[in-house]
Amino acid sequence: MRKVWRDVLIFTAIAVSIPLIILLLIRFTPKPPTAEMQYARESLSMAEKNKADTYSKKIYTTAKIYYDSAMVNWQRENKRFLYFRDYERVLMFAELSAKKANQAGDNSLSSSSNLKIKLKEKISALNDLVTQINGLFTTYPLSTEIRNRISKGKMLLSEADVAYKKGQYLQANRKVTDSEYLLTASYEDASANLKNYFRSYSTWKNWIDKTINDSRKNRDYSIIIDKFSRKLLVYFNGSIKHEYEAELGKNWVGDKRVKGDKATPEGMYRITKKFDGSKTKYYKALLLDYPNDEDKEKFKAEIARGTLPASARIGGLIEIHGNGGKGIDWTEGCIALTDKEMDSVFKIVRVGTPVTIVGSTVELHDVVDR
Amino acid sequence: MKNKVLMGLAAIAMVAFLSSCGKVPQEKIDATNAAITAAQTAEAAVYVPAEFAAVQDSMKAITAAVEVQKGKLFKKFGPISLKLDETLAAANKVAADAVTKKAEVKKEVETLMTEVKAVLEENTALMKKAPRGKEGAAVLEAMKTDMATIEASVAEAQALYDKGTYMDALNKVKAAKERATGINTELKDAIAKVKGKGKK
Repeated sequence: MRKVWRDVLIFTAIAVSIPLIILLLIRFTPKPPTAEMQYARESLSMAEKNKADTYSKKIYTTAKIYYDSAMVNWQRENKRFLYFRDYERVLMFAELSAKKANQAGDNSLSSSSNLKIKLKEKISALNDLVTQINGLFTTYPLSTEIRNRISKGKMLLSEADVAYKKGQYLQANRKVTDSEYLLTASYEDASANLKNYFRSYSTWKNWIDKTINDSRKNRDYSIIIDKFSRKLLVYFNGSIKHEYEAELGKNWVGDKRVKGDKATPEGMYRITKKFDGSKTKYYKALLLDYPNDEDKEKFKAEIARGTLPASARIGGLIEIHGNGGKGIDWTEGCIALTDKEMDSVFKIVRVGTPVTIVGSTVELHDVVDR
Repeated sequence: MKNKVLMGLAAIAMVAFLSSCGKVPQEKIDATNAAITAAQTAEAAVYVPAEFAAVQDSMKAITAAVEVQKGKLFKKFGPISLKLDETLAAANKVAADAVTKKAEVKKEVETLMTEVKAVLEENTALMKKAPRGKEGAAVLEAMKTDMATIEASVAEAQALYDKGTYMDALNKVKAAKERATGINTELKDAIAKVKGKGKK
């Protein structure tokens, strides 16, 4: 009987001590930083949602490396005997990962938000620039290269807008930067060209004032042609009586220098002949006294300087004629009106009527403001 | 004595059983990782980024949960195994969704390509009817340059499409269509204005 009791006691002791040992084992086993690892994981996930992999790539990558290091250390520690495990490094890397992930997420939000604002402003500014370019240079004879650059710039701006609307701000930023470069550079080149064109404004202004004063003094008709705005203005007694749309030479920018340059000359001229019927192929025509003495002097000076070849010819036969209304600068240097407008002008002018051709009747800043 | 030995062995066996009853579901882990790689190959990150990120997050959580269990005296991989089943199914779905989305984007690019080419053709025809008076021809010349740029952009989009980068092709062709449609509207307005004047 005593033997049975002893066996029961031993069995009970074993049955109690085994769970006790297990409980003690569990109680004093080092605990892995599960909560910290979860927090690091959630921080990484949030950072990715905030597109940190795009807008804060470097910090986000560092956060991912820290997380991977934590995992590697965790796996290594798990291979050791329970009591010898040490999760300090796991905890350290988990905390670093979470910290960097949060930083990357915040940076990303801030960067993408700032970029979004910056892009909106830039796209709007570039659209304004396109409007300005269209307003100033649609009819201005820019080089093919500048025209192509402007066109490419507009295309890139459109692509930037598509990317912006999709929330692809980095891609939009790249397109905007390229577009800005093309449009700004083209605008600067074209503006420099325009500024150069307007250098003679003071001379033009003197011609205009003289022409209007003469018209007032002589109570007679005078014509002023504004090349930039493509206007033919008929003055009588110092006041504008008629205004017509004019078409010019294909290369109307700048003064005429030589025969065949397709430029419309600038200067103070007079009508020397009136042609109609079979005498002209342009419906009706008013021949001007181009080249005048000043034109001849300038031409000779250019030959002397060597800026024109000795074989160059000054040209002539500059007329105000009909067959216009094509909506493009197409003449060899003449000024074209529609046949109906030509009828009106032809009737009121005579041989000797002054015709002053200027680059512009208004200053450059007025042109830009307009 | 024989009983004591048997009881001792039973106790050891119980401890051994309790401490190692759970095995890491390595096959399922490998299968899920393979499914995630397949989803990546199917460009899930490009076409279904949010869903793909969710699967990746899920796998990360599973890897951490495996380590938690590995560190325990009594391992329990049952819930992890279930989670792996879910993630495997999700990864397969993401891969399939990526393929579907890619096909949709491809189709969208094809449709836009056809549309933009039609608009460009219409623009060319409209240019012949467009008014030329009062700077009209100069504007048309500028439009011609823009049309050439748009055509070049469509060609670039086609090259991206041929390379299989449909998202990039989509952005490009969308922008090209917007520009072409803008010109189309300008031309139609100009023609309508002239017609309106003629009716007065």
